[in-house]
Amino acid sequence: MKTTLYVERDSFVHRLHPTVKVFGLFAVFWSIYWVDNPVALTPLALLLLAVAFAMGAMENVYRLRWFFILIIVPTMLTWMLFYRVGRPLIHIPLFHVSRASLMFGLGRGLKVGELVLASVLFLSGTKVEELAVGLSRLGMPYRLGFTITLAFRLVPLFMESALTVVDAQRLRGYDFDAGGAFERVRRYVPVVVPVFMGALRKANNMAMALEARGFGRTRRPTSFVEYRMGARDAVAFALLMALGAAWFMVYYSGLGAIPVR
Amino acid sequence: MPDVKGWMREAEADARRVPAGEALAVEDLSFAYHDTARAALRAINLIQSAGEMIGVMGASGAGKSTLAKCLNRIIPELEGGELRGTVRIAGRPTAGARVHQMAPEVGMVFQDFESQLFSTTVAHEVAFALEQLGMERGEMLRRIGPALEAVGLAGLEQRDPTSLSGGQKQRLAIAAVLALRPRIIVFDEPTTDLDPEGRAEVFALIRQLREQGVSLLVIEHEAEELQRSDRVMLLNEGSIIAEGPPSAVMTQLDLLESCGVHPPGLNRLLKLLGIEGHAQSIEHAETEIRKRFPNAPIASTQPPSRRTPVSDSVRPPSAAPLIRIENVSFSYPGGPRVLDGVDLSIAPGEFVAIIGQNGSGKTTLAKLMIGLLQPESGKIWLDGRDRATLHSAATARDIGYVFQNPDHQIFAATVEDEVAFGPRNFGLAPGEIERRCTEVLRAVGLENERASNPFLLSKGQRQRLAVASVLVLRPKVLILDEPTTGLDYREQRRMMRLVTELNESGVAIVMITHAPWLVAEYARRVVLMRGGRTIFDGGVREFFAHDAMLRASSFRAPEVTQLSRRFGTVALTPEEMANWLRGRGG
Repeated sequence: MKTTLYVERDSFVHRLHPTVKVFGLFAVFWSIYWVDNPVALTPLALLLLAVAFAMGAMENVYRLRWFFILIIVPTMLTWMLFYRVGRPLIHIPLFHVSRASLMFGLGRGLKVGELVLASVLFLSGTKVEELAVGLSRLGMPYRLGFTITLAFRLVPLFMESALTVVDAQRLRGYDFDAGGAFERVRRYVPVVVPVFMGALRKANNMAMALEARGFGRTRRPTSFVEYRMGARDAVAFALLMALGAAWFMVYYSGLGAIPVR
Repeated sequence: MPDVKGWMREAEADARRVPAGEALAVEDLSFAYHDTARAALRAINLIQSAGEMIGVMGASGAGKSTLAKCLNRIIPELEGGELRGTVRIAGRPTAGARVHQMAPEVGMVFQDFESQLFSTTVAHEVAFALEQLGMERGEMLRRIGPALEAVGLAGLEQRDPTSLSGGQKQRLAIAAVLALRPRIIVFDEPTTDLDPEGRAEVFALIRQLREQGVSLLVIEHEAEELQRSDRVMLLNEGSIIAEGPPSAVMTQLDLLESCGVHPPGLNRLLKLLGIEGHAQSIEHAETEIRKRFPNAPIASTQPPSRRTPVSDSVRPPSAAPLIRIENVSFSYPGGPRVLDGVDLSIAPGEFVAIIGQNGSGKTTLAKLMIGLLQPESGKIWLDGRDRATLHSAATARDIGYVFQNPDHQIFAATVEDEVAFGPRNFGLAPGEIERRCTEVLRAVGLENERASNPFLLSKGQRQRLAVASVLVLRPKVLILDEPTTGLDYREQRRMMRLVTELNESGVAIVMITHAPWLVAEYARRVVLMRGGRTIFDGGVREFFAHDAMLRASSFRAPEVTQLSRRFGTVALTPEEMANWLRGRGG
């Protein structure tokens, strides 16, 4: 089973300098942050999907389709519950369904989905070593940057271990679906404990193996792969700056907000 | 083919590595972990000459890994405690050094190969340690090639390490250590998690390194693998209790066994026959035995499978099968076919070993039997019922599955709660739960640990606890996935005694394993899988008589069984072989 999101391709995103990739992720996050209106968020979603298609990362988007749905739909519904602004269109107990709450819920759902999508694209086109280099060039201490990249690598391993634990407990007759919402959360204790203990053990083994291979010996390790900034990187950098500036202007002009009626 | 010579040439050109004199000196080394009263190491003294290979054996908890970790300062830097005594590498004391400073001096290859790989390409994995040294790129390139060549991974530079086989991953971890050109390489049970093919690959590499004069310290609890060491050491409760050339230590069979080490089967056979000495190889053992038994037959070149002299009933009993698998195929979504038209049935009271290389479909087959997966085509019947109509949780009382890693299920605060978890899920009455817990804890020898925290038990105890918590539901079939992985010989024997007793009480056993001796000594039927098909299904003795099939499947028979083939018979244990030879006169 493939445990990383990285897709081996030679696309324009893959060829960018790691620092530009990290900056790109930041610029997209920045743009998403400033706007709430789904109309202002939709072009970003389309842009991200176009990039996904161009860099050959649609397989990851498809692979994680349920994850996207599980994140976006509950976010939308939750905000319709709490964003009680505007004239209700229909009456459903507990929910406040108005044009504004629908727009806001949809906007929040899109926002979360786009943040996840941008991260998936970033990981699809960036090797963990590049991420470490990118973070370190942006001023983050190497040790911290490397630890973050390692966490990215470990998440899928823990997911795999969690699936095995769920199987093991189910085979002992355990029903994960019994009871109400809170009871169901509590019923995951027999999964969380073994996964957490396994993660601790793995982290300990990894720490030993890392140190034994000299990790931490120098503050600025050399790099096996040479990364050089080129004209392509300069263009990408300028475009990303423009994107960030444009979406800030959308916010500043008030077009990014939800009209309350 | 691995080529260690190229790496050696490069390494020797590195002036620091020229072997001369003492590689390692350990003087009066003692260590106790924090929060434990018992010392993990007691006054260890050891001198290793440059180019020497030392094998370290002992039970779990004997102090083997603790000793290894003291050499590169993981102890006391990362795992604290009270350390006394000195360690010198090439004459220089290590006191005060940080672990990362020791990297170019002591290379360490760990058991858990997954935790040693951090990079996205094979070449980068080897480069990782060199980057940490601040090495120039040109020098890195000069080192990476020979290191990968040495472990037989040249040509795979751009591969993702996660896509390699277990044996390849461990060889990659070794290449990463070789590139550092350390003075000593320490292997801490490097093949425990590997299949027989991966195991053979790693030990072949260790032998090559030894021939090239690299200083090696190899920790292992299968004595057979350390036969070619210059010297072996036996550790027990933190002390060296035997030390010397393999011929001197490996003939002390009772001592080895009492220290949790699997004694070499060939030496056991020689001893049973009253022949003094140490069998360095199968050929050597044969020569010694033929001197004593000059009339013993010589294997003919005829196909031997139908001529096995010892006959035993191996076919499944005629009772209605508990599990019937009919023409089952399976593929994971988007992947190639993992099982291809498999037929198999398991009858009550059987003891079946399912063997095959990693990726041959063993675990997938087991998951289909327990209902975690559904077949793509074909049918599975469980006790006469269509498996597809039964929920996996609902059939836990018919068929139990013990995962390879007991830590995938242990979560409760006490041993008793852990065992009671299953019966509680089925809503059994408290009195009944109590009765069953008492019964199974006694069966697995944990009756005195009822109130203990399961996380503080040894690996062997945790494995037995995992069996108990599945057994408590009284399944008719018990599937065990590698039940002895990571256990020392004593714990392995104990686990297998338990499994045998269960089988004798009527539970059908299906055991997935890589260990040839477990198949030979315990199973009564073997199912060999390759490429998603069953290519053999029959008696154990019949299986070990198929020399060509064994070779093709990379499954190595126990040494005694291999020896018996040279005499034209199939003996599964040293005792059986000795009896057979005696029957032919001395």
